[in-house]
Amino acid sequence: MKALAEGHNVSPEIIEKLRKPIVVAGLCLAWELVVRGMQVNPLLFPAFSDVVMHLAAGLGLGGSGELWGYIWDTLRVLLQAYAISVALAIFMTGLAVGNRWAREVLSVMTGIFQPLPSIALLPMAILWFGFSQESLIFVVVMSMLWPIASSLTVGFATVSPTLVRLGQNYELSRISLVTTVLVPSALPMMIAGLKVGWGFGWRTIVAAELVFGATGGGGGIGWFINNSRLFMNVADGFAGIMLVIIIGLATESLFIALQRLTTQRWGTETA
Amino acid sequence: MATAANRAARFEQLSPGEPLVTIRDASIAYSTRGRAATLAVDSVSIDIRKGEKFVILGPSGCGKSTLLTAIGGFIPLTSGSIKIDGEPVGSPSMDRIMVFQDFGQLLPWRTVLGNVTWGIRRRFPKMSRSEAQARARECIALVGLDRQSPQYPNTLSGGQKQRCALARAFAVAPALLLMDEPFGALDAINRERMQAELNRMLMEGARDMTVIFVTHDVNEAVHLGDRIMVMSRGPGRVRALIDNPHVGSPLFHTDAMPLAAELRELLKDTENTVS
Repeated sequence: MKALAEGHNVSPEIIEKLRKPIVVAGLCLAWELVVRGMQVNPLLFPAFSDVVMHLAAGLGLGGSGELWGYIWDTLRVLLQAYAISVALAIFMTGLAVGNRWAREVLSVMTGIFQPLPSIALLPMAILWFGFSQESLIFVVVMSMLWPIASSLTVGFATVSPTLVRLGQNYELSRISLVTTVLVPSALPMMIAGLKVGWGFGWRTIVAAELVFGATGGGGGIGWFINNSRLFMNVADGFAGIMLVIIIGLATESLFIALQRLTTQRWGTETA
Repeated sequence: MATAANRAARFEQLSPGEPLVTIRDASIAYSTRGRAATLAVDSVSIDIRKGEKFVILGPSGCGKSTLLTAIGGFIPLTSGSIKIDGEPVGSPSMDRIMVFQDFGQLLPWRTVLGNVTWGIRRRFPKMSRSEAQARARECIALVGLDRQSPQYPNTLSGGQKQRCALARAFAVAPALLLMDEPFGALDAINRERMQAELNRMLMEGARDMTVIFVTHDVNEAVHLGDRIMVMSRGPGRVRALIDNPHVGSPLFHTDAMPLAAELRELLKDTENTVS
């Protein structure tokens, strides 16, 4: 046995790197084998290979490529809501930095709305804005705004007083103090807030789209998943779910790459 | 920027020995909300001469850092005046560069070279990037950080961070260098090494610079200060002003021991005055 182990000579690093892909592949294989082996009704739970085929077709590999349209509908709404949330968060944090009352208001509002799953506001949003894109944007903004605002506030509040003095010593104007000292100092918390905000928004919009599409009549990946069930295209629905997961993971790794380039390199990571 | 250059030019015209910093009846009170104001510095009057290395020595909490911070223009006086070359101190300026005790005084998102170059380009905005970098490299060499110049501050030791802060301060060539216990947070071995090296750095890189150095370390004071001002605590007052003939002699040199002992006694007395 010992000789055999030595003979294989696989370095521990390679095993470490392969561990995750092996687990993922194993789970996919188990999915395939269980569904095929136990002859599960494909209308209830399609096999992994069917789902992958539908996903590929949906993305244009030997199919219509209709998924791109749904993804774009979702991302379009999400990006608009993200821009609004970030702008509002910066504005509110700016007020809170300068004024104790504004700070208290922000802190109370964050406290109230952070624990509330903003999807619960969707019925009210429909009442106010109808089955419209505005309703979607409203609930998504409500899910993103508070975590972003609260982490921005913490980020600015924890800037080292020594660095602020350094900035004063080198005669930085108010604006350049913000851009050259405060913002880079708050960057770890800012990125963390943007990441959490994006994650909340992504969950919320998919959930909201299950109720209705971006433009009332259709659109959006959540809408697509729900319709797939309606028309018994179950494999399409699974493909949609898989796509939601893949996009979620991809944006997550974008944020991680951003952190690697900035705060990790500088050693200012807080988490 | 032009005014800064003019001011710098006027400092050059002062000959060594003339007072550069004139402090008259300076008092600083802190008002904590809801409580009566506590007096941190009480009517300090002192002249600091151009080109001298002036040490403010005192026990912790005696207001020595507060006084230095006021000279830097970071906090206002409650009463009295601080004038630099006849002009009252206003807001902080690059004529008076502060080196803090806090290791976190470097910009974490800039390398050693980047930090020093940043300071130079703030002070001399018209200088070309390459010229600024060349000057930065000289200052980095002076403090012995050549090998670390492409590194980010988070990869430096405490001593290296303070060396970098010194290089940045030297590079800016301020008329007045304010040092707030820069070695106070270092371990004993590194502290002594930096104390011994600071004199060399000042001689080579900042011979004409006026330095005000705040410390609670008697040996540091004797090693670095042309003159030593001892402060008492609660509130901070000038207790003694001593000409130091042993400045620059090696740390713990036997000739300097009596003075060190005397200073230590003075410090002990100031401790006892606290109620």
